[in-house]
Amino acid sequence: MSVREPRTFAIFGFATTHTALAAEQLLKDLGVPVTPIPAPKSLGGALCGIALRIDPLDAERAELLLERADLSPRARGEIEDV
Amino acid sequence: MSADKRAVPVAYLDHGATSWPKPQPVIDAVVRALTELGGNPGRGAYAMALDASRAIFEARRACAQLLGVADSRDLLFQSGCTAGCNLMLKGTLKPGDRVVVGSMEHNAVARPLAHLARLGIEIAVVKADRTGLIDPDDVERAVRQEPTRAVVCQHASNLTGTIQLVGDLADIAHEHGAIMLVDGAQGVGHLEVDIAALGVDAYAASGHKGMLGPQGVGLLYLAPGLEADVQIEGGTGAGGSESLEMPAERPDRYEAGTANTPGIVGLGAAAGFLAGEGAAQRDLEADLARRLHEGILGIEGFRVLGPPPGVPRVPIVSAVHERVDGDRIAFVLDRTYGIAARAGLHCAPWAHDTVGTFECGAVRFGVGWGTTGAHIELALRALHEIVSS
Ligand SMILES: Cc1ncc(COP(=O)(O)O)c(C=O)c1O
Repeated sequence: MSVREPRTFAIFGFATTHTALAAEQLLKDLGVPVTPIPAPKSLGGALCGIALRIDPLDAERAELLLERADLSPRARGEIEDV
Repeated sequence: MSADKRAVPVAYLDHGATSWPKPQPVIDAVVRALTELGGNPGRGAYAMALDASRAIFEARRACAQLLGVADSRDLLFQSGCTAGCNLMLKGTLKPGDRVVVGSMEHNAVARPLAHLARLGIEIAVVKADRTGLIDPDDVERAVRQEPTRAVVCQHASNLTGTIQLVGDLADIAHEHGAIMLVDGAQGVGHLEVDIAALGVDAYAASGHKGMLGPQGVGLLYLAPGLEADVQIEGGTGAGGSESLEMPAERPDRYEAGTANTPGIVGLGAAAGFLAGEGAAQRDLEADLARRLHEGILGIEGFRVLGPPPGVPRVPIVSAVHERVDGDRIAFVLDRTYGIAARAGLHCAPWAHDTVGTFECGAVRFGVGWGTTGAHIELALRALHEIVSS
């Protein structure tokens, strides 16, 4: 049995589902892997929509790309996954 | 089957009210929404809710692309053009504002404006000519008279088919510091609409008429920076549910409550369909409407409202007979011939008043997707027989 190390991901929360989906599409189109997840409480506030989970190594570039497209995240955080 | 029992018309000529039949991709999209997109869009991150959110996202993009809207967040899904007109008018006009409005407006505009007038908004009506056209010079004169917050005008008349010069009206409005608000219910689909090129500040559209989508869905474009007071507050799913304020961001700010997913997804498919077939369809329906128009003028005792043949119009042809009432004509068209056409005032008493048919009404034919030359021939033969008997 192999045990995977817990991994930390960056997460982006968005003001609207539309922006989250536009961001997901843009990042995927530009070759940045992202996964939509339920927005975790740790993002602050009660963001009851979706958030995007992303490799922390991609986070900075992703944010820049999103900002340029007027799709900046509203909140940023981290999440542990196993 | 006897005429009494026949529900599906032989010739559907009421596209001014709503389009029928719908293109197969629209039907398929609605069925898909009801069978596969069952989750609540924007309300969950499990696969089926996400698929619903994505389908709405794609539909919004397809509609934005069709209508020349650069950022699809500025295009809001509404329950119809009526809801869009209400938000556009009640959301942007405040007591003390002055509004210049054309006299051909549908009740979707006239009634919200009447409500606003009771709240202290001044309404200046510019009368159209007998063909239903609002002269931009008249609008300019009205706007120059006093400080004006908004010019309001339809894109095309649901009575006369007249196409208004909304791009010119937008220029006039802007020259005088006013915003331009448009009821595009009869425009989209029957006209090629490029909202950016028109330069208007708000444009309400109906999803189920010339756009060929399902009923119960429409669009409102709000220019970036033009904020409207929210008319319906409630849940939006994403971003900041703890707050009792509506989110500032579009589209959620103006889309509280669970979306009409089947309607929106159907509308998105309709937008895709029109992007491919729209130009050919517009040529075809213009030709059919012209044949109908000229044919009716050839029947003794009829006059046709709106511009003369040859002047572009949306494919609506309304006629008045000197002896036979419109409601009688519509009744016999339906009962005897299976032709669906609409008599009465068409929710547009202002427009009927303008063109002098408030007392008698008119019988209106709306041509659209699915109308054929045979339908036009049948209608002309029927009209001839009805008024000759
Ligand atoms: C000019 C005009 N405005 C608004 C409307 C209302 O549109 P909807 O049915 O989408 O609310 C109509 C439809 O009859 C119309 O013809």
